[in-house]
Amino acid sequence: MKINRFWSWLFFGVGALYFVLPLISTAEFSLKMRRGAYTPDAYWTVLADPRFQQTFTYSVLMALATIAFGVLLVVPTAYWVRLKLPRWRPVLEFITLLPLIIPPIVIVFGYIRLYNTSSWLPLTGSAMGTNLLLMFGYVILSLPYMYRAVDTGLRAIDVATLTEAAQSLGAGWVTILTRVILPNVAVAVLSGAFITFAIVIGEFVMAALLNRPSFGPYMQLLGANRAYEPAALAVIAFAITWGCMALIQFVSKFAPRAPGAQH
Amino acid sequence: MPEPFLSIQHVRKSFGATTVVQDFNLDVEAGEFISFLGPSGCGKTTVLRMVAGFEEPSGGRIVIGGKDVTGLKPNQRNIGMVFQAYALFPNLTVAQNIGFGLKVAGVARAEIDSRVAEMLDIIKLPASEFGARYPYQLSGGQQQRIALARALAPRPKVLLLDEPLSALDAKVRVSLREEIRSIQKKLGITTIFVTHDQEEALSISDRIVVMYGGKAEQVGTAFEIYNRPATRFVAGFVGTLNVLEGRLGNAGKVQVGSGEIVLREEPADVRSGDIVSLALRPEAIALGRRAGDDAVLAGEIADVHFLGSVIRVRVRAGDSIVSLDTFNNPATPPPRIGDKVEISFSSGDVMLLN
Repeated sequence: MKINRFWSWLFFGVGALYFVLPLISTAEFSLKMRRGAYTPDAYWTVLADPRFQQTFTYSVLMALATIAFGVLLVVPTAYWVRLKLPRWRPVLEFITLLPLIIPPIVIVFGYIRLYNTSSWLPLTGSAMGTNLLLMFGYVILSLPYMYRAVDTGLRAIDVATLTEAAQSLGAGWVTILTRVILPNVAVAVLSGAFITFAIVIGEFVMAALLNRPSFGPYMQLLGANRAYEPAALAVIAFAITWGCMALIQFVSKFAPRAPGAQH
Repeated sequence: MPEPFLSIQHVRKSFGATTVVQDFNLDVEAGEFISFLGPSGCGKTTVLRMVAGFEEPSGGRIVIGGKDVTGLKPNQRNIGMVFQAYALFPNLTVAQNIGFGLKVAGVARAEIDSRVAEMLDIIKLPASEFGARYPYQLSGGQQQRIALARALAPRPKVLLLDEPLSALDAKVRVSLREEIRSIQKKLGITTIFVTHDQEEALSISDRIVVMYGGKAEQVGTAFEIYNRPATRFVAGFVGTLNVLEGRLGNAGKVQVGSGEIVLREEPADVRSGDIVSLALRPEAIALGRRAGDDAVLAGEIADVHFLGSVIRVRVRAGDSIVSLDTFNNPATPPPRIGDKVEISFSSGDVMLLN
């Protein structure tokens, strides 16, 4: 038993080092901007950079828009498929997995070809149109995660019976979705939202090719021209992602418990 | 007969090539408690769901309170429904669950609060203790009480109960079914109760609809259904039934093993020499010769089951096995397997099965 535990800890330790060591190195390097001393100078430089503030704000707004649109698209779709078209679930799952197979560069080139200034819908002809296009792209990129999160949440409740119970009490579809279904999958939706947030904040390809001032291209630009600031930026980006993960864990504690669950 | 409050007229339902309900007709009076009783797959829940509006009939119509509701959506029918799986909204408290229908209907907050308190009082769960609880903090029986209160709160025209007791343990089932019946009588609400449990149906219904193969086999009171089953299925499904095979002779005489039973009425559509099936309830048969009984058969004890206050004895009579019940008497030991015995009954209690 003791020998087994030794090997378990050894593998855990090696795995942890594999993941943690580069992060520690990056964090340590980001603090060495001033020769011979550990200082947060690189972080202050990054945070004081107006381009950081602009691009970060832009990406946060894009992430919020992506989450809002994603929720409006995914929740009713996943609900309806579960309720009325259960045989179409595998098809929908396949469609939502496509963004993991098709590289973002293919999607964005497709967008540019379809929605360029000489097309019937010239979205790339204006900043707002391009923002819209970028948001649609982000929705596609986050679809596998958002759909799975919502679908898992829907699986945890008896969608059909709750719907019928609400209908028998006089509720229409909008009431059912907003007062019965959405509150019961809220934690799942939030999980999907935080993953979406993390994806959008770090996304590079789509934003760069659509030439939008987002955080991903800024990180790349900084990485190509500076030494310590990119390391500080990487640590900040990791902190945002981990913050999102922590929030997922935190909000999952507030999920409505199914009747019959242990308390 | 008064005008029916709920009328189900020539209703059919098919899923693809499969017909699950065929030409179903039923008139229900206001305030009546009707049970749909039948085995799984007999179409009882489908009929209930068509009344609720969750399934669209393939033919026929449903009228409630003089209004044809066949084409109406479930949320336009003003029907209360209780489900087997409770279906309480997990994100809402008990009070919010009960008030849900009223809130949807746009009722004022003060009125909702008063109605919720009234409903909690009816189901005997104090508002102060249970109002703020969530469904996961309640037992199965409490959850089903809340589901009943929620269904009744908006004052529906009809209450539909879809096997509401099936998920509960035996003791709670008995107490809750009596409570449901008492609340139904108090409120005078027209109710349809779906169950596959004959004891439930027999004990609380004004009338029972026994269903089989998508059709109503018999509609009647519990007494009628039990004592005068219209078909072989009803006779076999409701209660325990002994079936004796015999050969029909002249003047209504049926030869069963070495004994003979004389039927009170000669069967119309059976000829002399045909094999007929006779049915008898266990409680109609006595072990030994009972005063007043006109039919006696000889047999041998095949099995004895001691059930506490009652002893169920199985007797082999000719080619048939007959079950009968005797009360336990501490002074008299039960018969032993292999004992030669006689059984007696009144020929008036014999049912000839179609």
